Amino acid sequence: MNDPYQILGVPETATDEEVKRAYRELARKYHPDNYHDNPLADLAQEKMKDINAAYEQITKMRSGGRSGGNGYSSAGGYSGYQQYGGQSASGSSVLQQVRIAIQTGNISRAEALLANYSDHNAEWNFLRGAVCYRRGWMDEAKRYYQTACQMDPGNAEYRQALEFMERGTQTAYRPGGQPFGTEACGGNLCLPLCCLWTLCNGGGYWFCC
Amino acid sequence: MYCGLCHTLGQRYGQAARFILNYDFTYLAILLSEPEESGASAARCFASPLRPREYLESTAAMSLAADESVILAYWQLRDGVADHDWLHGLKYRAVSAVLEPAYRKAAAIRPGFDEAVRTQLTRLSALEKAQCASMDEASDAFAVLLGSVAGEVDDPVRRRVLEQLLYHLGRWVYLVDAADDLKKDAANGNYNPVALRFGLSNGIWTPQSRGEFALSLDHSIRMMATAFELWDFGVWTPILETTIYQGLFHVGKAVLDGTFRTGYREEERKKRKKVEEST
Repeated sequence: MNDPYQILGVPETATDEEVKRAYRELARKYHPDNYHDNPLADLAQEKMKDINAAYEQITKMRSGGRSGGNGYSSAGGYSGYQQYGGQSASGSSVLQQVRIAIQTGNISRAEALLANYSDHNAEWNFLRGAVCYRRGWMDEAKRYYQTACQMDPGNAEYRQALEFMERGTQTAYRPGGQPFGTEACGGNLCLPLCCLWTLCNGGGYWFCC
Repeated sequence: MYCGLCHTLGQRYGQAARFILNYDFTYLAILLSEPEESGASAARCFASPLRPREYLESTAAMSLAADESVILAYWQLRDGVADHDWLHGLKYRAVSAVLEPAYRKAAAIRPGFDEAVRTQLTRLSALEKAQCASMDEASDAFAVLLGSVAGEVDDPVRRRVLEQLLYHLGRWVYLVDAADDLKKDAANGNYNPVALRFGLSNGIWTPQSRGEFALSLDHSIRMMATAFELWDFGVWTPILETTIYQGLFHVGKAVLDGTFRTGYREEERKKRKKVEEST
């Protein structure tokens, strides 16, 4: 196995607090929430596993040295991935197959199945939106989710998907915990940061709002 | 890196090909690069005839970037020929004729990429002719084109990461470019996918459509960021991180505010030059 310290990006001399902080930052970055419906979610999941294992190994090594009892008894790792959309039952067997195709990453198959399905009900629109999202067609994805919500306003799954399209980027990971977004910069929040940046870099106006 | 790519172009394709060099192609080379920097050499060149300038020695990634840059530049020029009448297309035809031998060589080395570029550009011009009102579909052609840059990468994980990153970079570039051209296209009556999608007249944003558009850009930036975090770009991490998490937001905002055209490009160019030369 690789060096756990290297995985967390800290030197072996790091204090427990520093190790914990590095772990938390990485866990925030690769958290399932940040890779929600992402076509690369499986790679993030692998990263998360490595990080959890490395953290657990370090805490175990360190608590072992102190004859146990003190401090870290559990690694407190983030739990594994929850497959999104998997729990909902479909109204039809074809749409159920579409869900399976999306989950296994077979987007072309999902698309073909949807194209041959004539009943464009709320679920069809929702799944069409999910296919668009994975393809990177963000605008269409949002519009299909909107239609799904209009047709079936009570459905929590559809509403959750639409809410993610409308507000999801606000919670996206960004180093240093700054707000994420094109319109988020230039406001009051960003201004002090900008000034700081300009001062530090001496005329670094490129990144200034 | 900038100088390294220039030397690579010169070695592989002769002096003329060095003139296609720009910062976009340099970014491409950075994205395709290995985590470690290659050795540095120094040489005199046209741009610095007296003082020898340091440059990064040619690597496999730079060769790939050079080949793909030649192909992209060539088709960009042919596109210019197709877009203009005989007289105005002259300069495009002249330059593309100069680049022709280099292009033939590059296309022979990277037939897959050449094919992908040709297919997507044909698709793009068909979509533009048909006045495609879906901004996702219109940008998809350019996004797939840029994504295919990663097609020649061997490692499957790295290829997936780069394809996703470049797809959304392509989508972002195409949409921001369309947003930047809103007023010009409205005046000339040219096709503009963003104007069609939001029903904008005279190229002026409504607060709601502007918000929706920015959100769509943010989703693409998020996809780039999540892909970027899944591969170790080594020494190139800081410059890529700054671009993805800061640069794109600021350029996007400037375009939406309409402040991008007025001197912004010049400032950006100077700043980028400073960054590139130090890397």
